[in-house]
Amino acid sequence: MSSKIIIIAVAILLIISFSVLFVIETKNHNYDYNKTWSVAYFENPRDNSLDFAIENHEGVAAEYGYKIFVGDDKVIDEKVEINAGAKQQISPVIPSERLSGNKVLIEVNYKSKDYKIYKSL
Amino acid sequence: MVIGLLKLILTIPFVLILPGVLFQWAIFGWKSAFGGRKISFFEKAVLAVPFSLIIVDLIVLLLNKLNILLKGPVLVGAILIFCLVCFAAYQLRFGKKKSKKEEESEPDKTFDFSTWQAVFILLALVLAIFIRTAYLSDTIIPSATDLGHHMYWVQTIINTGHLPNYGMPDFIIGEHMVFAAVNLISGIGVMTAMPVLLLLFFNIVGIFTIAILLGRVFESKKIVAISFFVAGSLYAINPPQGRYVSGGVVGNVMGDMLIPVAMYFFYRALKEKDQIFVGLFIFSFAGLLYTHHLSAFVLIFSIAAVVILYLILNFKNIFKIIGEWLRLFLKPFPLALIFIFALYFLVIFTPSYFNPAAVGQATGEPTKNTRIGFSIVQIDSGVGSALLVLGAAGFLLSLFALKRKELKYAFAFGWFLVLFVMTWKPGLLYVNIPSDRVSNYLFLPLVLLSSYALVRYFEVFTSDTSRFFSTVFLFTLLFFVITNGLSDSADVFKAKNQFQGIMETFHSAAYLAATVDTNKDIILKDHVNIYGDSWYKLFFMKDYKYPLSRGVLMRYADPTKPRETCTRDMISNAESDAGKACFADTGVNYVAVNAQIEGNSFEKYPDFSKVYGSDGISIFRKD
Repeated sequence: MSSKIIIIAVAILLIISFSVLFVIETKNHNYDYNKTWSVAYFENPRDNSLDFAIENHEGVAAEYGYKIFVGDDKVIDEKVEINAGAKQQISPVIPSERLSGNKVLIEVNYKSKDYKIYKSL
Repeated sequence: MVIGLLKLILTIPFVLILPGVLFQWAIFGWKSAFGGRKISFFEKAVLAVPFSLIIVDLIVLLLNKLNILLKGPVLVGAILIFCLVCFAAYQLRFGKKKSKKEEESEPDKTFDFSTWQAVFILLALVLAIFIRTAYLSDTIIPSATDLGHHMYWVQTIINTGHLPNYGMPDFIIGEHMVFAAVNLISGIGVMTAMPVLLLLFFNIVGIFTIAILLGRVFESKKIVAISFFVAGSLYAINPPQGRYVSGGVVGNVMGDMLIPVAMYFFYRALKEKDQIFVGLFIFSFAGLLYTHHLSAFVLIFSIAAVVILYLILNFKNIFKIIGEWLRLFLKPFPLALIFIFALYFLVIFTPSYFNPAAVGQATGEPTKNTRIGFSIVQIDSGVGSALLVLGAAGFLLSLFALKRKELKYAFAFGWFLVLFVMTWKPGLLYVNIPSDRVSNYLFLPLVLLSSYALVRYFEVFTSDTSRFFSTVFLFTLLFFVITNGLSDSADVFKAKNQFQGIMETFHSAAYLAATVDTNKDIILKDHVNIYGDSWYKLFFMKDYKYPLSRGVLMRYADPTKPRETCTRDMISNAESDAGKACFADTGVNYVAVNAQIEGNSFEKYPDFSKVYGSDGISIFRKD
């Protein structure tokens, strides 16, 4: 009888353990839950388009500043409000004659953090 | 989330308990044993899991050979058919005569624990499961390197419906089939908690398989009860326990569950001279061969050591003993199983490591510094001081207490001695495998000796005077054992999870998978400084070696063979001549690195554009 109790008790313990771990994994397998980070990236890394996106995973709605430099010249300096967990796509409009042969740097900042992405065109 | 959890909780018993239960019905009957082959409910319950694992593997191998696409309904049907066949065999063998035979056979009381023993076992198991759960709660998002490699192959099985051709001896099919089966039936993906939960399940069942082995070897319920504490609670996190579960060291975790099962049947086969147990030894050994080469290798050495020691200690009767054993192995049930497994190995599926080159790599003089063995200090830090001290005490106590001509003596000593030599001076046995991998198996005989030591200790000191000193010594020893043995568990509660790092890695991999053309673009990512990077390949499912990876740096210096160094040079020295030549040769045009370390260097290189930047990961495009 005691061995049956042990087997049943262990089965229950394992179900509890599995449930706890499964729930923890499912909740945390998420870009936002209990996390504070951001990311900036070009929508298409393979070509020379400058469309880019900022994702807010800081856990709160945040205002991001972004500056775009062509060579050493700052051509855009804007701010954008992004909700927690949301993504903002941005398509900068810059005359094509200013772009050719230059490095285009996009500098995104939130509080003290900077996220730089750039393409050499 | 709830439905997913329910699916998983229902699938695990269907895949990993039901087939084993029915299989045992067919062999042993419903309640007690038939014809003197005593096997208790406790043992049957424990053995259901390893048997199920082997059976499901064999079913999947057969389906694959028959070119039947591996899908959920197919697997459910195949498992149910197997269960029905077992049930029919049970009805044929025991159905009509069942009640009469059950009345005739006396219940086996080897595992009929007293109330206090049961309470002790339950407390040990609560502690064992609690410590592991607490540890895994910080590592439960799939991120471990080994697990990532294994899950690539599991996902390949899921995607294609066929077993993969690895093209390398590093992976064994048994490490992957059960995960694929659970996924195909439950729908729970591999990038969830599922793989780790299955490994945790095998790890906990492993504690039980050691216990049933001890129960049969020492025939003492006290030793069995203590073994739950020693195997379950002491060093619950250190390898080969919690860290191997979270680390996805799949073969070792399964091997640590299956080795005691094979040893259990081997012991009972020789002791009780029963062909059914011989057959089940062959069954579990073949299952191990399909699951993990190193564990099978260790088992072969362990069995050889036990046999040789037993024959030496019974030298006068050596021919008689060998004759008896041969007759035992040449009976119908073992012969039938030998035939079935020969068929499996030769016709249905040959494990990838079954070739002279792979065997040659594992045997002979050690070829690397990592294979020349461990010093005693290294062994101590590997297996844990408490376990080593208790094991040594058990070794000495059994030296005096056990009868040398008994099989249990050869078991206790032979198993420990051979694994100790394989860890300490592997060259003596012509073993050429990494010593740290072998040392983890010392855990098994040490649990056996330690449990024996803790229980037999008082029996040595029987007089009142010696009992006082022995009690003082015992409490000192227990204090040391508990503080030392639980020290790794205490660290669990100080650990900080790495969930954000993992999710950033996954995000960067998903970004690349969505934007690059894997037919044209070649990606290189850094294993050294990106957390959970081995899971990158699951986002592409293009090839095991896609994306390319800069590995651990010391691996590039291999005295046994030249290694390619481009994957290192393209990250470590991207602007050097060697680095530039490597970019040209390999065609790598995307590099994913740690933003804070290599990312800062790459930002200074003029030939790269930075297309992705997060807190942890930067991705550069080669212009």
